[in-house]
Amino acid sequence: MTMQGQAEIYDLGYQSYDGPREGRSRARRAVFENGVRTLLGIGRGGRAKILPVLLFLGAISPALVFVLILSVVSEGDFVPGPSDYYGIVGTLLVIFAAVMAPELLLSDRQYNVLQLYLVRPLTSTDYLVARFLAFFIVVLALVYSGQIILQAGLILTADEQLEYLRDNWLDIPRFLAAGVVYALFITAIPLAVTTVISRRAYVAALVIGAFLVSSFFTDGLIAGDCTETVAVQGDEITREVECTPIIGDSAPYVALANLFQTPANISDLIFDVEPGSPSGTEVAKLNAAFPVATYIALTLLPCLLLWRRYRRLAL
Amino acid sequence: MADLLEARGLTKHYGPTIALDNASFSVQSGITGLLGPNGAGKSTAMKLFLGLIRPTSGTATIMGAEPYGSPDGRARVGYMPEHDALPPNVTATEFLMHMAQVSGLPPAFARMRTADTLRHVGLEEERYRPLGGYSTGMKQRVKLAQALVHDPVLVLLDEPTAGLDPSGRDEMLDLIKRTRRAFNISIMLSTHLLGDVERVADAVVVLESGAVSRQGSVAQFTAETESLLVEVADRRDEFTAALRAKGVEPIERGHMLVVKGAGDAEYDLIRDAVVESSARLRRLTPQRGTLTDIFRDGPA
Repeated sequence: MTMQGQAEIYDLGYQSYDGPREGRSRARRAVFENGVRTLLGIGRGGRAKILPVLLFLGAISPALVFVLILSVVSEGDFVPGPSDYYGIVGTLLVIFAAVMAPELLLSDRQYNVLQLYLVRPLTSTDYLVARFLAFFIVVLALVYSGQIILQAGLILTADEQLEYLRDNWLDIPRFLAAGVVYALFITAIPLAVTTVISRRAYVAALVIGAFLVSSFFTDGLIAGDCTETVAVQGDEITREVECTPIIGDSAPYVALANLFQTPANISDLIFDVEPGSPSGTEVAKLNAAFPVATYIALTLLPCLLLWRRYRRLAL
Repeated sequence: MADLLEARGLTKHYGPTIALDNASFSVQSGITGLLGPNGAGKSTAMKLFLGLIRPTSGTATIMGAEPYGSPDGRARVGYMPEHDALPPNVTATEFLMHMAQVSGLPPAFARMRTADTLRHVGLEEERYRPLGGYSTGMKQRVKLAQALVHDPVLVLLDEPTAGLDPSGRDEMLDLIKRTRRAFNISIMLSTHLLGDVERVADAVVVLESGAVSRQGSVAQFTAETESLLVEVADRRDEFTAALRAKGVEPIERGHMLVVKGAGDAEYDLIRDAVVESSARLRRLTPQRGTLTDIFRDGPA
């Protein structure tokens, strides 16, 4: 049976919006979420996704390799532990931050989108905090991703998993805390650089350059004259390298200027381990307050610069 | 009627440059043109109303509140800047949805409003294309759409027809009129083009060198004057001489003649002069004011 009826289409015309308006809190959240999407290339073309994907793969690949080795070799003493992992992926983190920071803050200024934000229920501080948090969260995810795989691998490949967990449970809060230390440091400096330089390539070059130069410079000054001592005791051969820094007693203070080492110094304190680098070894000779104060200063000063720049931003 | 915008002694200095000098005016609902030549202080006035910059002295209020430092007050205001303000690598839909949320709309509502607004500005078909590939006209429409997406009470448009070709300009002006008519959104548009204001605005505020020189309704400026406009197709000199012989001194304005007075006597004199000079009368009409007169006549 066919039913015939009369259908009518009504043009309701334009409907005014009388739904909820969530004001400033929604605005902050939207800027944060948009920041995360921008950094990960979500909602953008394929090219915008290449770099984040490559860097995430880069950050987790050492952990995957180590876990793979652990799964086939019973003795895994040579596999780095959680305290060493951040040092291994540190360069990658700096590259990510240096390249992506301009994408987040500079493009809003470059394309004049910032003025569209600031005519909405949002202050410049709201905008900045939301963008900073977005960058921090993405860097933190990058920092944690490899560590989580490594931790999971270490636990799963242990002969006695519960025993391993009981003996090493402290590694988990430690790598979480050290991750925050790294992510905060690597977020603050590149974002601050975008406030004084307005070309993406220059921002990336300056950030990567500053980290590398500070590292080469301090390591070079600290290394000085080195002597190698080889001792034979039965079957065991031990080799010790002892260096006398060119700059003498001031070496530990100079070592504080190594940007790669600044978060590593705090990480070493958190994990309560001996530093693995010459700069770290020198810094360890100082009272712990020195590396902590250096870290706080090098993280807070860029944040302060960012805040001042955005408060005074002339549109 | 409550003022949507009010400037009282509004002054803005950029170092030694005075962008706005003790400007006082108010804007009610409807379409208001902020008219003035380049550098008259129009964009500065808009930025002061939006709280993007602070005044040197005086006050600018928007819907009764001072915008600087009160971000919640800006939730029902839209702004379309003069210059490009679009990220090139995102689609119109992505951009508008985001801007709706930054204006305080929850995501589900932002999605609906985005679709409605893009349809209104005629970009429904292009909504999934990255903005970097849009033409100037399409970019202007996206800029207008982002100003409307959160259903504001008032929208400020800074030179909305800048850079558009004649047909693009017509479309943009129609869109502005439709926005007022269909959306019931009040609009203040800044422009240096008299024609734009005459075509769409109900009221006008004229800025010159940072000061308000005139303000009032467009109808008031374009009302009939106490003069007649005469155009003859030929024998213009003879016609002028015939008028002078009758004691009427016409004023030449291009190919037209203006005769002071618009009573029956003036009509009769013109008729007689036409007959005597054997000129062919092309037009005889009461003269209406134009916004051009504002600039020709100088400040009131």
